[in-house]
Amino acid sequence: MTAETLVLATSAVLLALGASGVLMRRNPVSMLMSIELMLNAGNLVLVLAARARGAVDGQAAALIVLVLAAAEAVIGLGIALALFRTRENVDVDGPAEIHG
Amino acid sequence: MNDLFVPLAIGAVVALVSGLGVVVARRPVHAVVALLAHSLAVAALYLMMAADFVALGQVLIYSGAIVVLFLFVVALLPAGGAEGPIGSRRVLSGVVAAGALLVALMAGLVAGGPGGSNVPIARNPAVGGVEAIGRSLFGPLLVPFELTAPLLLVAIIGAVAIWRRQEPLPDRDSPTRDSTP
Repeated sequence: MTAETLVLATSAVLLALGASGVLMRRNPVSMLMSIELMLNAGNLVLVLAARARGAVDGQAAALIVLVLAAAEAVIGLGIALALFRTRENVDVDGPAEIHG
Repeated sequence: MNDLFVPLAIGAVVALVSGLGVVVARRPVHAVVALLAHSLAVAALYLMMAADFVALGQVLIYSGAIVVLFLFVVALLPAGGAEGPIGSRRVLSGVVAAGALLVALMAGLVAGGPGGSNVPIARNPAVGGVEAIGRSLFGPLLVPFELTAPLLLVAIIGAVAIWRRQEPLPDRDSPTRDSTP
């Protein structure tokens, strides 16, 4: 097993872990954290590809994904707070409608 | 890079165990702490892959900003954001879907074989450095890089708008408001 295979396998397991978290959890904050896991898995592959190709483009793309993750976390957490700070249960199945 | 196999394996194990902690932790505070450990382990992996600037960005943005934001939100949520019991059907569906995804990815990895996935990393000189990343960002990746600016602006305005909408509007006819001169 080479180091490259190790990193690729790590990334695959992380992606599956994050997907299972998104599907299983009912708490929107936990779901967002699982999405962050999946984004990290993608970033790992990008950085590995940059190293393997000897080019730096993958690292630059990973930085752009980092910015995307920050924006996504801000919006997702804002929606979670706005929806659930007046409710008893923090459960994504609870709110059946979102008032415009 | 094969001389880095053992450190890479340690970092990968830490990242995987803390990632599992993020998924299975019952209390969101514990999940946030696991996410912090996970992001630091991933930053260590980036360092071992000679991606210094990405590791720096990971520590600053993930560990510094995103994890702290998660902590604030967990503190603001009612009951610490603890969720109700998770039904067995939900767990089953999550495990089955994630297992299928994992099998598909691993099949691809195995099918790639030693020729496909065994990229000759060790022969490449260490790439990286802020200057090279800057050339890439302002060269081939200029359009996505510039699009991050409106993305962040929209995220800021959207977060403020979502938050403001929940606040009660000030009542103009309120008797507490002193309108007499």
